[in-house]
Amino acid sequence: MSENPLLAPIHGITLEDYSAACAKMGSGLSEDQIAKALGVEMPVWQEANLLWQERMKEDATYQIVTLFGQHFGTADQHPKFSNLQAVVSPEATGYIEKIKTDKDFYQELEVARQVAYDYGLDGASWIADQYGISIGDFQIAASLWNEQIHRDIAADSQKYMRTQDAYKEKYRQKFATAQGGNVADDIEF
Amino acid sequence: MHNTEKNNTQSYLDRLKKQAISQENYGAEIKYDEANIQVYDCPECGAARALGDGLTVCAYCGYQFMTVKLSDGIHIKKGNNS
Amino acid sequence: MFGFFKNKYDNPALLEEIRQTEEKWFVFLDKLETRLDELCSAAVPELIALFNEDSDPYKRAHSRMLTGLMGQISQMQQKAIEAKEEHIIPFMHASSAVLPDLISSAGRKYHDRLYRFQMACFDRHHQFEDKVNEGIAALRSTEGNADLEAVYQRQLTEFERIKDKFSCKQCGGKLILQKMFFIATYIQCPFCQTQNTYTPSTEMQMLFHQARSLAEQRTKHLLLIYEQSRPKNPALYQQYLRSMFDEWNKITPDMLEENERFYQRLLKDHSINHY
Repeated sequence: MSENPLLAPIHGITLEDYSAACAKMGSGLSEDQIAKALGVEMPVWQEANLLWQERMKEDATYQIVTLFGQHFGTADQHPKFSNLQAVVSPEATGYIEKIKTDKDFYQELEVARQVAYDYGLDGASWIADQYGISIGDFQIAASLWNEQIHRDIAADSQKYMRTQDAYKEKYRQKFATAQGGNVADDIEF
Repeated sequence: MHNTEKNNTQSYLDRLKKQAISQENYGAEIKYDEANIQVYDCPECGAARALGDGLTVCAYCGYQFMTVKLSDGIHIKKGNNS
Repeated sequence: MFGFFKNKYDNPALLEEIRQTEEKWFVFLDKLETRLDELCSAAVPELIALFNEDSDPYKRAHSRMLTGLMGQISQMQQKAIEAKEEHIIPFMHASSAVLPDLISSAGRKYHDRLYRFQMACFDRHHQFEDKVNEGIAALRSTEGNADLEAVYQRQLTEFERIKDKFSCKQCGGKLILQKMFFIATYIQCPFCQTQNTYTPSTEMQMLFHQARSLAEQRTKHLLLIYEQSRPKNPALYQQYLRSMFDEWNKITPDMLEENERFYQRLLKDHSINHY
């Protein structure tokens, strides 16, 4: 069985290591902390960071980026990062735990995040402000729920669409009210 | 009535702009650092690190600077393994 | 058989309803268009000012304002679609159902009227959608292009300024940077052989990530030539891509090998999609 050369470690940093590192950086760890956790110095980490991205750009099969996404989701369990947590409030810890264990909560927040942009807010910042959830944690949750959500859509796409639409409507109203209504509210057929 | 609508549109724009400016960019202010040079001597024995000895292990006391095996990267190469 | 239908079908009430519905639809879309135009005209100078005033290199405040406006435009589009689905289309079906057969001379006049109503409403809607696209384009045009050439020049100048200003932290010997590094790099002292770690400035590190955009800016004219070719000529795309990568490699020569692989992949992808 031949191994895909594109999956070989770069400076001893495996794809799994790299994916977890990216997730952890998104969750608030610094590059210094990442390099230390991986047992390397900054120049080595930065080369590996660059070169893993190049591998993904080179790979027309999408195998690497797919694996990257999967490993991203299991970052919390990666042994090299088990002792490192970003500093968060107890409340935020609860919400971070919730998006990774409660699918409905995750999906609702994912829609809220998107709708925020339609109302002039940065969605990621809004989620961070309201719930203390970082981009990295959100992406980890996305990776964890990815397969299940695809199964849900395949099983009953109408139901999925209805749920999504309901969330969209809820947050459109919420953000519209906060901004004093929509610009064309007074125009009716 | 026409003017009120225009005013409403303008006040919406003013509020939108204000909100866009006041929302903090994710990750806070960008910190601009100058270029710098550092050395990281061996924390065990204080020895400096020479090119010939490789980057990963202290040539004098065996302390491990890095626990990985370097491969051929951009500037860092396999030959930099101690 | 046809004699039976020689009695004219007469329904002036329906004709009036068609006329009124059409007028209402036009008035509704006129109002939406006026509001759209007001919004975009007023927004453009504000967006431009915001872009220029924002010290953030990624211009995120401008981006937030822009997406908020897009959201409002989207809301107006949705309003028009919902009104069409609620008031125009059901009305068309209901009216059509009460009419006699199309092939009868009695039915012909009414079917024609209904058909013209349908066409007029749909055309007017397309017109509105065109105005929406114009508005979106106007708002997007406020996304200024950061002057990447100037940014690059500043970094080149800065590099010339600092490249011989560093000393080995071990022995104090002069260190000369042989080239622009964009990431943390080990530099060997020529005197005592010690490995120093050089970390480029934040701005230099940022330039690395802007290199491709700068290369694309420099070769935009070649991409345009390809895009305007009829039929699309893949050789022209390759010419553009090769040129863009050559420029990219001038800015970050250390990435040449990696870039070559990426170039090959993009070329392959493009030829697959092209044919």
